[in-house]
Amino acid sequence: MKFTLKGFAGNLLFAANVFILFLLLFGGEIIIPYWLQPIGRLHPMILHFPIVILMLAMILDFFRFKESYAKEPFYQSFVSWLLLTGALFSAITVIMGLFLSKEEGYTGSVLQWHKWTGVSIVFIASLIYWCRDFSWYKLGVSRVGAVVIVSCLLATGHFGATLTHGENFVLGPVTSAAEPVKVPIEKAMVFKDVVMPIFTQKCLNCHNLEKAKGSLIMTDSAGLFKGGKSGKLFVPGKPEISLLLERIHLPEDEKKHMPPKGKPQLTADEVAILKLWVKANAQLKGKVTELAPGDSLRMLATAFLAPEQSVEEKFDFAMADEETVTKLNNNYRAVYPIAKESPALAVNIYNKDLYKPEVLKELTSVKQQIISLNLNGLPVKDADLKIISQFVNLRKLNLNFTALNGEGLKELKSLKHLNGLSLSGTGVSYAAIKQIVNMPELKQLALWNTQITPAEIAQLQKLNGNLEVIKGFKDDGKSPAKLNLPRIGNEKSVFSKSINLDIKHAINGVQIRYTTDGSEPDSIKSLLYKKGIVIAQNTSIKAKAYKKGWFGSDAVSFTFYKSTFKPDSVVFLTAANEKYRASGPEALTDSQMGTYDINAGSWIGFREHHMEALMFFKTPVNISAVSLNVMRQLPVYVLPPEEVEIWGGPDKNKLVLLGKTSSRAPLPADEKTLMNVETKFNTQKISCLKIVAKNLKKLPKWHPGKGEPAWIFIDEVFLN
Amino acid sequence: MEKDFLEHGLNFNRRRFLSKLSLGLGSVALGSLLIPDLFTGGSGDEAGLPPGIPDFAPKAKRVIYLFQNGAPSQLESFDYKPKLREMMGQELPPSIRAGQRLTGMTANQTSFPLVGSYYDFKQYGNSQAWISDLFPHTAKVVDDICIIKSMYTEAINHDPALTFFQTGAQQGNRPSMGAWLSYGLGSENKNLPAYTVLLSRGKGNGQGVYSKLWTNGFLDSTHQGVQFSSGEDPVLYLKDPDGLNRFERRKMLDKLAEMNDISYKEFGDPEINAKIQQYEMAYRMQTAVPEITDLSKEPDDIIKLYGPDCLVPGTFAANCLLARKLSENGVRFVQLYHQGWDQHGELPKEMAGQAKDVDQASAALITDLKQRGLLDETLVIWGGEFGRTNYSQGKMTVDNYGRDHHPRCFSIWMAGGGVKPGIVYGESDEFGYNIVKDPVHVHDFQATVLHQLGLNHEKLIFKHLGRRYRLTDVSGKVVKDILI
Repeated sequence: MKFTLKGFAGNLLFAANVFILFLLLFGGEIIIPYWLQPIGRLHPMILHFPIVILMLAMILDFFRFKESYAKEPFYQSFVSWLLLTGALFSAITVIMGLFLSKEEGYTGSVLQWHKWTGVSIVFIASLIYWCRDFSWYKLGVSRVGAVVIVSCLLATGHFGATLTHGENFVLGPVTSAAEPVKVPIEKAMVFKDVVMPIFTQKCLNCHNLEKAKGSLIMTDSAGLFKGGKSGKLFVPGKPEISLLLERIHLPEDEKKHMPPKGKPQLTADEVAILKLWVKANAQLKGKVTELAPGDSLRMLATAFLAPEQSVEEKFDFAMADEETVTKLNNNYRAVYPIAKESPALAVNIYNKDLYKPEVLKELTSVKQQIISLNLNGLPVKDADLKIISQFVNLRKLNLNFTALNGEGLKELKSLKHLNGLSLSGTGVSYAAIKQIVNMPELKQLALWNTQITPAEIAQLQKLNGNLEVIKGFKDDGKSPAKLNLPRIGNEKSVFSKSINLDIKHAINGVQIRYTTDGSEPDSIKSLLYKKGIVIAQNTSIKAKAYKKGWFGSDAVSFTFYKSTFKPDSVVFLTAANEKYRASGPEALTDSQMGTYDINAGSWIGFREHHMEALMFFKTPVNISAVSLNVMRQLPVYVLPPEEVEIWGGPDKNKLVLLGKTSSRAPLPADEKTLMNVETKFNTQKISCLKIVAKNLKKLPKWHPGKGEPAWIFIDEVFLN
Repeated sequence: MEKDFLEHGLNFNRRRFLSKLSLGLGSVALGSLLIPDLFTGGSGDEAGLPPGIPDFAPKAKRVIYLFQNGAPSQLESFDYKPKLREMMGQELPPSIRAGQRLTGMTANQTSFPLVGSYYDFKQYGNSQAWISDLFPHTAKVVDDICIIKSMYTEAINHDPALTFFQTGAQQGNRPSMGAWLSYGLGSENKNLPAYTVLLSRGKGNGQGVYSKLWTNGFLDSTHQGVQFSSGEDPVLYLKDPDGLNRFERRKMLDKLAEMNDISYKEFGDPEINAKIQQYEMAYRMQTAVPEITDLSKEPDDIIKLYGPDCLVPGTFAANCLLARKLSENGVRFVQLYHQGWDQHGELPKEMAGQAKDVDQASAALITDLKQRGLLDETLVIWGGEFGRTNYSQGKMTVDNYGRDHHPRCFSIWMAGGGVKPGIVYGESDEFGYNIVKDPVHVHDFQATVLHQLGLNHEKLIFKHLGRRYRLTDVSGKVVKDILI
């Protein structure tokens, strides 16, 4: 046999095959000497050659029997060489791989798949090389062979990559866009939700069941506590001598530093968490919330966890039919998903007049989906609770101020998820509540404004330690509030014959005491206001409100004026100041009384000249007194008229002076007031009345406006 | 004209289609490089939400906004500045003022004497927040509220500032926050408007509020705020006239709707549909409103909680109680305005009166919502349109001074609805003039409110006259630090 390079290579391939077979058969007993280990570790580099070469060889082999190529000697020889080289490289790669697999840290099914697909490549490629010149090796066989080899290459490559880079390396950025769901702090366990995720993210790639580097498996607590080749990972309570922390704290360039250089490193917070956890005896049980609020571990952990209550519950039931939900919605019943694309529904029902149990019954078509039901203030009866008990996923049920007496409450026991129940303002009894107090998820129970006593509430809380009972605001009577002012209900303070006194107070059960002599009312001696009190003459009322448990109110004052006659028309002979004309001359007899606000539109003011008004009566009246309601407010130059003259007669051309009143001169100490200036005279039958009110022409010397004329302001005239 | 349209269609040939398509694909591909989330799936609405906060179901379902109109002084309420008392009467250092523009009222003032709070402050609750003696009831619920001491705005006068707070722009005619919410979330209870407004007035120096503050702007008019007044008819013109019974009213509305429908088909104006809906809503409100505005059935403890004024229609306390009832009945946005906080002078006296008006009822609202289990899902906001200066406006005496408008720094508080309870956020300098930590712009505040209701402020958009409008205009970021 002629010695050729090709023949030598062929023999080498044969030998390699035998060696591989040997390694496979006796692999379990072989120990790789340390000087051979670097050869094994070259596996990840060499493996790229057989992939490319064999791939190319197989593509060329696929078309080998094509007529034009079959006659081409170079093509034939090139393919043959290429195949041989590829097979050889694959054999070498497999041998290296088998060496590498002997090193610790490689176990698991992915490795097995990788190994056997790799080995198949060598064997099949070698077989093809040796058989491809036989006569039976024709087009079909060659193509099958090519396809098999290429498939094996792809499979091996994939499994190998999985070993090195972990699962889902390629598509990871696309498919795992969903961030790991953060656990809400109130549910988080220290180990499971804080410590373990750090291992999972930063350590598990190499220390898993498939690839247990250093014989360390960190996938679960058992593996963690077992430790690896170098010993136990940690000494609970002593981070300073724990291997785990030693490795973490080594300088990054150090060979034993973990995670190895180039891999994602632990953050300072993560290191601190691990340290604190080991220091706290590496407990596996225990919630984050059980740690003291100021605890360092708790504070660090909080950053890793979702804040309290913020993670929405994931609901495992199906979405309700959209059409059904739409149909259930009407003007008095709102049924809506709690958020876009959430299957959970919230239901609010309104209008107590239209409520019937059917309103609830119709909801059974979405009974799985309702998680919140608000029936506040509706006349819901105990029997209706049976319908509600079918809404098995209900979380929150508001029955405040409904017509319940509690008999039906036991029906609610079927609501395994119910965590908030509001029963305030209902007739529920302690016995009825007791039946449901131990419902598994119940956390909040509103019971204010019910017959349940504080002692009973304490008892309920004893029965269910997780329960928060909302007792509501209860006035303890220690800081009584002051009542607000009584209100005079009478719209007008001027009457012709008599008027029913109407005093109101916003708060029920208030006593109103009043006086008519201007003195301060008190709660004992003063007159008690009742409905039906009639006033028949000018009266000043002062009233205060009293109620047990409250401080009495301030006094409210009010004056009623009698004005027996109302003229049919009123005209001014002198013009009022253009700024203060109210609604015209009629304002003098419109029964609208003004306040101190001169701009309020009920006052008529004169300054440039005196007031002269004529009043006409279609049927003659008997008048004996005319009184003007006027204002005194010195700082704004407003004084009562200096003199009032009353003229009367059958018509305006036959008037005689009936009476005259003069006011005293103003004094600097005069307080602001609203006052009556009355002029009395002998009863006269008249059809026309003239009122002349003269303003003070010169303010006295002590007044800032000395020498200037004073204002007069009149809002009403009473005729009796 | 018709020919033009036809030709335009024919111009669109295959070559053009392909070249457009390739351009389109190219830009989408490029876009994916710039916006990493473009292809990661998830509905468009979620894509822009801030990461880290799982924003699936909203925290708050409803808002009650206790607007303190006129701008209460932060220095006599929640921002404790002992330094101002120490430096009483001394000049505000120009380095602190740093060119802040002044209102017309103090622009001519030559001296800016610092003035400390007339009222003492104490610390309360777990957060040890400083609260002035004017707000003893608020102090009791301090562990339920989140005080933000670092608000700032752009406007220096009431109307623009108020409009800015409510609509996101200083000029009027944009939709207000409640209208946006109504637009974004719809109504929970179809018997009541999604957005209601309640007004009250204190004795202090007041500033007007106008219906433009609760306007729907360019949104559909069903989103407009409905004002409840304090008189016998809480909603004006809601009652049927005498002699018209409900049955006849129904018949009339049906006929009207029919006719409106005809004209809608003819003209296609969406406002016609809005009108039909409003008539229907009003019809339903006829029964729903009296039930809600009837406060006589409230238990005694509730009356004591809110204070006796809560039964006097038109007071802030009554409005708070009414707000609770409206909110409880599914009204998305209840807007209260309490007027009278504009203390340019007589501040110590007037502010005491104003605080007395609102303190107990505001705190009561928190307590009441909490005991009804509603605080979790109701966001309560308390605050004015800007702050007040740390120097006195006009003459300053021991017990009388005034403060001018100050946009750079002021305090508000929020409670419930997924806002962290019992915290104080942000800080001002020792003069209470500038913010030194965690500033919150009005748009940030608005973004946060929308966020709590499950709306992304960047996605809640309405296209009008060729521009896309948002409540937060072109800025605003959610203040995540104050959220649970």
